[in-house]
Amino acid sequence: MIGNDIVDLALAKKESNWQRKGFLEKIFTQKEQLLIKNAKNSEEMVWNLWTRKEAAYKIYNRETGFRGFNPVKLVCFYEDQSKGTVSCEGFLYYTQTFVSKEFIYTIAVLEKEYFKYLEKIDVATKISKINGIPSIFDNVSLVVKPVSISHHGRFWEAVTMLPF
Amino acid sequence: MIQKQEIIEQLKEIIKPYVNDKLALNSLTETTDFINDLKINSANLVDVVLDIEEKYNIVIDNESMERMVNVQAAIEIIETKVGEKN
Repeated sequence: MIGNDIVDLALAKKESNWQRKGFLEKIFTQKEQLLIKNAKNSEEMVWNLWTRKEAAYKIYNRETGFRGFNPVKLVCFYEDQSKGTVSCEGFLYYTQTFVSKEFIYTIAVLEKEYFKYLEKIDVATKISKINGIPSIFDNVSLVVKPVSISHHGRFWEAVTMLPF
Repeated sequence: MIQKQEIIEQLKEIIKPYVNDKLALNSLTETTDFINDLKINSANLVDVVLDIEEKYNIVIDNESMERMVNVQAAIEIIETKVGEKN
């Protein structure tokens, strides 16, 4: 299983006021709030941690069938700008984050080694829903692979894992 | 006690700024899902929760927020929290 999440930073600036009173407390743990407060670029840290939580939640949701909105339950361990883990109710997810001036993009997987097998899906690929999960059929291995799709503003990303 | 229909109308006003699809907003019912039906982005769901807190002068704890994915859950939480105040 795989999860991804992208934030268009320009659109996020328009849609969200992360400095609004009470906003950060509803999403982030005390430790994460401290990371944001002490970051050189707090806004970037907000969306960096946010995309990690969203990407991890997508796996959590698919694996457990649980649906809910409680981002504080997804706890980020921030190794550095691009690496870390997210834990949720005893589950652990590994995250890889790509930061640019225009967007922040995170992919979450179940094992660290899986990052080697990531396959980016282009927008023209036919993606079908199987049991509610977007999937593609791999013509080489003849297996159905779950896909995670994220779209925000100018950006669209879809990712799956190569068979191994 | 606030009437359910009244809460629905107030909710519509609260979520309006976060919904692009005005048609979906107009046909809002109790079973309407904030994310799947109204396409509210999840960061804005936090704003909806904060707006509800301000409007009804209540505090929505994280456990309640967790359930707040549709209109029905929002109504229940508002009713409960407003009730606890009185």
